[in-house]
Amino acid sequence: MIATWYGIVSLMLIIYIALDGRNFGAGMLHWVVAKTPEERRQVIAAMGPLWSWHEVWLVAFGGTVLAVFPGLLASAFAGYYLALFLILWCFILRGVSIEVGGHINDRLWQGFWDFVFVFANFLLAILFGAAAGNLARGVPLDAEGNFSMAFFTDFRTSGYVGLLDWYTVSMAIFAAVILAAHGANYLTLKTEGAVHDRSTNIAKILWIAVVPLFLIISIETFVVRPDLLGHAVFNPFWWLGLILIAVSAISLVSGLATQKEKRSFIGSSLLLVGLLVTGSAAIFPVMLHSTLASENSLTAYAVASNRTALILASIWWPAAFALATIYFVFISRRYAGKVSVKRDNQGFY
Amino acid sequence: MFIGLAMNSNIYDPAFWSRLQFGFTLTYHYLFPQLTMGLAWFIVYFKWRALRTGDEKYNRAVRFWAKIFGLNFAVGVVTGIPMEFQFGTNWAGFSKYAGGVIGQTLAMEGMFAFFLESAFIGALIWGEKRLGPRYHFLAALAVALGSWLSGFFILVTNAFMQHPVGYQTEANGTLGIASLSSYLLNPWAYVQFLHNQMAALVTGSFVVAAVGAFYMLRGLHQTQARLYLRAGTFTALIASLLVAFPTGDQQAKMVGRYQPVTLAAMEGKFTGGPMAGVAVIGQPNIATRRLENPIEVPGALSFLAYGTFQSYVRGLDEFPEDQWPDNIELLYYSFHLMITLGSLFIVLMAVATFQSWRGRLEQSIWLLWVLMLAFPFPYIANTLGWMTAELGRQPWLVYGLFHTRDGYSKVVSNGDTIFTLIGFTGLYFVLGLLFLYLVGREIGHGPDKDVVPIRLKEVVVSKEEEALV
Repeated sequence: MIATWYGIVSLMLIIYIALDGRNFGAGMLHWVVAKTPEERRQVIAAMGPLWSWHEVWLVAFGGTVLAVFPGLLASAFAGYYLALFLILWCFILRGVSIEVGGHINDRLWQGFWDFVFVFANFLLAILFGAAAGNLARGVPLDAEGNFSMAFFTDFRTSGYVGLLDWYTVSMAIFAAVILAAHGANYLTLKTEGAVHDRSTNIAKILWIAVVPLFLIISIETFVVRPDLLGHAVFNPFWWLGLILIAVSAISLVSGLATQKEKRSFIGSSLLLVGLLVTGSAAIFPVMLHSTLASENSLTAYAVASNRTALILASIWWPAAFALATIYFVFISRRYAGKVSVKRDNQGFY
Repeated sequence: MFIGLAMNSNIYDPAFWSRLQFGFTLTYHYLFPQLTMGLAWFIVYFKWRALRTGDEKYNRAVRFWAKIFGLNFAVGVVTGIPMEFQFGTNWAGFSKYAGGVIGQTLAMEGMFAFFLESAFIGALIWGEKRLGPRYHFLAALAVALGSWLSGFFILVTNAFMQHPVGYQTEANGTLGIASLSSYLLNPWAYVQFLHNQMAALVTGSFVVAAVGAFYMLRGLHQTQARLYLRAGTFTALIASLLVAFPTGDQQAKMVGRYQPVTLAAMEGKFTGGPMAGVAVIGQPNIATRRLENPIEVPGALSFLAYGTFQSYVRGLDEFPEDQWPDNIELLYYSFHLMITLGSLFIVLMAVATFQSWRGRLEQSIWLLWVLMLAFPFPYIANTLGWMTAELGRQPWLVYGLFHTRDGYSKVVSNGDTIFTLIGFTGLYFVLGLLFLYLVGREIGHGPDKDVVPIRLKEVVVSKEEEALV
């Protein structure tokens, strides 16, 4: 039961990253692929009316973790205090920039909100990358399961570590590049004209950059946490993740080579899913690893709610998940196809 | 709302700063959902009328209010996400202790309510053509249902903190859920939910009426103004009545039954007795343990809280002082001002609805002025109501089980919280300016783009002439 819930909350976070990751990516590339005000509105329109639906996956993830792993939420959120508020403020800025940027048809107004939009998305991609690095590397958990962390300390990956060190920084760079590449794939799929052509070109460059970065990150992860691999090979989900990575890489490469936009976008989405599945399977059952002493680590079994809570959640969660999917399919079918700035005179969505 | 404001604890107390931050960010956040929860049903109503009658004026009303709704919704979303996270960041002790119970409804809120709202909000605001009229109506309905569902889950969560049911104490001392049905069917939750939703409807209808009055007084968008005034004042009257009775009345009885010390503090009753009165005017003085210059309605509190004038109402002196709410003055003022405002709302909207029924509202310049300027007061009353609920719950975080002073995050320093509190203050100030500017701009543009301003006096004269002919 606890292992299943570990899987479900991981899945929620993975869905979130795959969905909102493309928005981070499109946001980071905003200035690069879109030059005129119309093209820039086209990028925002490509994100579509469901961007807040994507964000809800993160909120629902937070709520579900509180319900089934309250001890984890208490320990991790308090420990990451300042970093989390930085993420929250970036979310506020990003949401505002999307919503109000189109309200006034003025060059300065839109230019300013474009800047806020790019800045917030870039910082979010970096911070989520660093957060993923932190999950793999661990945090300085004490014997009571508490920690409090500086932004950076001595940039080493053991002992009293900070949010940033050489490993989490390289993870942040990797996240920014792969999410930008994913966003470029999405923009290629959803736009036409100049934005489409620029996105196609930049996608190829970014995906080529992803390959060496991926190799470096894999080696680095092995150096930082040599214990993970021996553990992971016995977890079937780790192998599933690897298979997903392989299949999606083929789909991605063939999609890019033959200009099949849908195939390459599905490929890049699955690639993100595969990477995250591999990662979360590798660290299971530990949810928060301690860099001070491995016996301080918080496992899913130690931080879970009582059995009743897990059973109850197993009853209502699938129903809610099905409903959420139905809404998503209903709306996205009505917004299928490429966005054009001129086609719809009711705003840009 | 959950943690409330702490004024009596000192500034070296970490709980103080976390309470202040939670109270501030939540009070600010709730300015937006209280409008959207009320306004959503106006949009549903206008869209339904548009479908039934085919009259374009209803579609114009939908488009106009959907824009106002969208801006409110956006600010509500971005200020709401920090609330979810602060349970962990600032209230780790509480999350660890009660997360196994309250996490259920917070997760349900995300899964059932937020997905529904967020899927359809974009389609409601920009998708009229893409969806077609029927689906557009469904989108409006989905958003309205989602916003109320979200309110429901939050109110169940809060009700658990006010009157915990359906839990069990685990071996490690934390709370775990024992029965989802008794947790969800908490009697406190239903009373508080209905009271709160009616209060949100008051805010929504006051805003609709105020915009109608604004246009009417300026001689702009007359058809729309008439629609907003009629729908707004009538709904406001019904909702204001329902806020007081039965929901407010039941809420007070609930406090009397489960939190008698809170009731005593709300009313400034330092000593108990039968025939307890409700003070219309008076200030509690904690040092001398009495209510200064009280003007009371004798027996009213006994009757309202327990059903008869002879009922005994317990005073603060009958409870140990460490169980008293830690800020009795603020609690007393919040409660009394809320009651006063709520009563004035009923009077104002009764007069406005009567004038509207007689067909005289559009000519009553003074009444239109009052309606136009009245819209901030429901926001104040809603805030005061939540202050009453949350200050009244102190010193408990989960009533009778867990103290607020045990709930904050031990690893977060005061400086960190003060830093983020200042950050929120600055960010929310800018956000508020931006919101007011954009909403003001939309109201300035108005629901009809092709309108020629006319003066109110000319309308009045021409109507009288019409009557003469």
